[in-house]
Amino acid sequence: MTNNFASRRRVSLTWRLALLSVLGLMISMPFVWMVASSFKQRAEVEQPQIVPHHATAHNYPIVLTLEKEPVQNKKLDLQFGRWYFNSVFMAFGTTLLQVLTSALAAYAFARLKWKGRDQVFMLYLATMMIPSVVLTIPNFQGMVSLHFINTYHGLIIPVAFSAFGTFLLRQFMMSVSPALDEAATIDGANHWQIFWDIVMPLARPGLIALTVMTFLGSYQSFFWPLIMLNDGQLFPMSVGMMSLDTSYGRQTELIMAATVMNIAPLIIVFSIFQKYLVSGLQLGGVKG
Amino acid sequence: MFGGKFSDGNGKQTMNFQQVQQKQLAPRAKVKAKTAARGGGAGRRERAAILTALAFLLPNLIGFLAFTFFPVIFSLWMSFTNWSLKPAVKFEYVGLRNFTDLLGVNATGPGAPAVLAGFLVCALAVTVALVGALWANMAQWRGIKLGGALLALTGAGFVFVGCTHSLQGLVLGGGAALICGWSMAAKDAPWEFGRGTLPGLVLSAGAIGLWLLSGAMTHAYQPRDPYFWQFFYNTIFLMIGIPFGIAGSLALALLLHQDLPSGEARQRVVGAATMLVIGLVMGGVIWTQGNPNAGLIVGLLWLIAALGIGFNVVAFRTLFYLPTFTAGVALMILWKALYNPKTGPINVGLNAIFHSLGIHATAPEWLGDVAWAKPALVLMGTWTCIGGTSMLLYLAGLSNVPKELTEAADIDGAGPWAQFRHVTWPQLAPTTFFITITSIIGGLQGGFEQARIMTAGGPAGSTTTLSYYIYNKAFQDLDMGYASAISWILFVIVFAATALNWKFGKGLEVD
Repeated sequence: MTNNFASRRRVSLTWRLALLSVLGLMISMPFVWMVASSFKQRAEVEQPQIVPHHATAHNYPIVLTLEKEPVQNKKLDLQFGRWYFNSVFMAFGTTLLQVLTSALAAYAFARLKWKGRDQVFMLYLATMMIPSVVLTIPNFQGMVSLHFINTYHGLIIPVAFSAFGTFLLRQFMMSVSPALDEAATIDGANHWQIFWDIVMPLARPGLIALTVMTFLGSYQSFFWPLIMLNDGQLFPMSVGMMSLDTSYGRQTELIMAATVMNIAPLIIVFSIFQKYLVSGLQLGGVKG
Repeated sequence: MFGGKFSDGNGKQTMNFQQVQQKQLAPRAKVKAKTAARGGGAGRRERAAILTALAFLLPNLIGFLAFTFFPVIFSLWMSFTNWSLKPAVKFEYVGLRNFTDLLGVNATGPGAPAVLAGFLVCALAVTVALVGALWANMAQWRGIKLGGALLALTGAGFVFVGCTHSLQGLVLGGGAALICGWSMAAKDAPWEFGRGTLPGLVLSAGAIGLWLLSGAMTHAYQPRDPYFWQFFYNTIFLMIGIPFGIAGSLALALLLHQDLPSGEARQRVVGAATMLVIGLVMGGVIWTQGNPNAGLIVGLLWLIAALGIGFNVVAFRTLFYLPTFTAGVALMILWKALYNPKTGPINVGLNAIFHSLGIHATAPEWLGDVAWAKPALVLMGTWTCIGGTSMLLYLAGLSNVPKELTEAADIDGAGPWAQFRHVTWPQLAPTTFFITITSIIGGLQGGFEQARIMTAGGPAGSTTTLSYYIYNKAFQDLDMGYASAISWILFVIVFAATALNWKFGKGLEVD
């Protein structure tokens, strides 16, 4: 009986593993093709074989404009390194501001008692359902009036405030025991000290989750930079990739090398922060 | 209150604590007495609390007001004007004209008002009945099984007609009705007539009415902005990936929520290494026998399985989450290359299969073909989202299903399917509902990036969604007023979905 049960379990385990492996293969094939193509030579790109016969690593320096492109024998007309910097700079700026303002506001919503708190919070929540495209048009108009077009601050400031971040951090701060605040108040701590020394360290998983999510979101953001910029110097990676695709789209091997370089930082960040990210997504999702 | 806690520690701490407490209490009591004497103490404390809160709130509040609150009002105001960034256009208030231009129709022939009225009544009936069906489903009204069966039947009829006349829209709508009806008819309820039958009945009748009248409507009337309706239809069409995505996410979560290998670390390492060697040998043999691609695939399959043995479900979870995580412009460019009709691996593979099977067919042109562009985008979307946030939410939901329930079902001799159908699935209802609504909200607003990067909205506008239409109106034609009006219509639809979430999401908490 037990033996039978165990063997049945092993069979089902094998099936599950097989099924998961096939699904995993289907999910990963595009990535495999992407990486393999990025190491191909021009002549081999259009051949059906996935893994190149004669691999070359030259596509990467070509895209980074360190080497000349062999067909036209000149460097590509783009600034890939600059785009990298722009993306990371933009993402850092946005994340720093957004996490800081969200944390402060979340403290006011989660830990302070004041008249009208719940109403204001409901207003915040309500704005989360406004489609971003509704806000984009008037905000763009505002940026035009302020002459913020083609500037870093025009890219960063309008997206540096987030109702979602406030909501997420509030959820985390609510789970910090109120007894700690009371004890600290009795010890003579003011609100700023409570915020900075007690609540912030205890809400660290939430802060990390929000930081990673915001960073990735703004690293990948596309719509806002697209309409705000026409100066190629300031393009972030996303808009830069589009212009790269427009001008060199036929050279698949170069495009794929650029794609790999675009995705690589994401995968690194993900593998470091996976644990926090999952918990943040689930909290933000289920309780939303 | 803290006595117990602190007396557990050393005595010194207790002393300190009490001292501090006394020190703190004394001035507080004094203040209280003072304010009480003056009167209005509560109000002052309240004001102080608000000021403190404001200090914390201020940075965010400024941004909120500047970039969310006022823009919303500004946008609404713009939608009643002809606001344009073109210097030639003279600003004026146009009242509701943007909206009537978007939603209105022009009579092109001897338009029969009765047709229009009938069409509107049917459309209204369908909308109301949709909400009613949801309501009946939640509230378990009597007779819901019959209504569901009716709806499913109508849906099947539409699918059949759509297939035979190759009308994608009919297949789409019919399929949706079929799924909704099926889910209602599959409930454990007696076959009887009751008020729960009405939504299904009205929905079926309304849909049939819409279909019958649509011929006369297109004959007698023309929408003032036909693009709007076409792009609205596109937006809805691109959302057919949602049920597949949800089903896929649930399947993945079910496969992943129990640990895979049973054994110690050493056994796992040995198992993984063995599988790796098998994969290398098998892949290598196939590769050198003249089929490098097949060799690669077989080798990768074993590699992934080995990772699963070595790292348990975490390996798969990470792998499935990868597309969601890296989603963005780069992945869309990748898929554009994959879908390339001549050089893309999808068509190269398909053509090779056709050739080897002796079928005289050519693979579709995917993004370049009006009929295939939308399915191609849906496929990409499903690949991107299937292992994403929905799967994680389902995993969380599955871990919240009480063990006693599944164990009880096991003891009662329920098979895996019965256990899923009667225990797991009902327990997951809140998660499913939440995922569905958020997917719909996201889907309504979606499609901009892929249209901009992969298809430019084409071919023939077949992949232009509402958000891409708004982008084109606002930032290509610079017609901000009209674009704002479209965005507000989108807002109203999204709001309706959110309201459904609020209305029904709360009642779904299963405990």
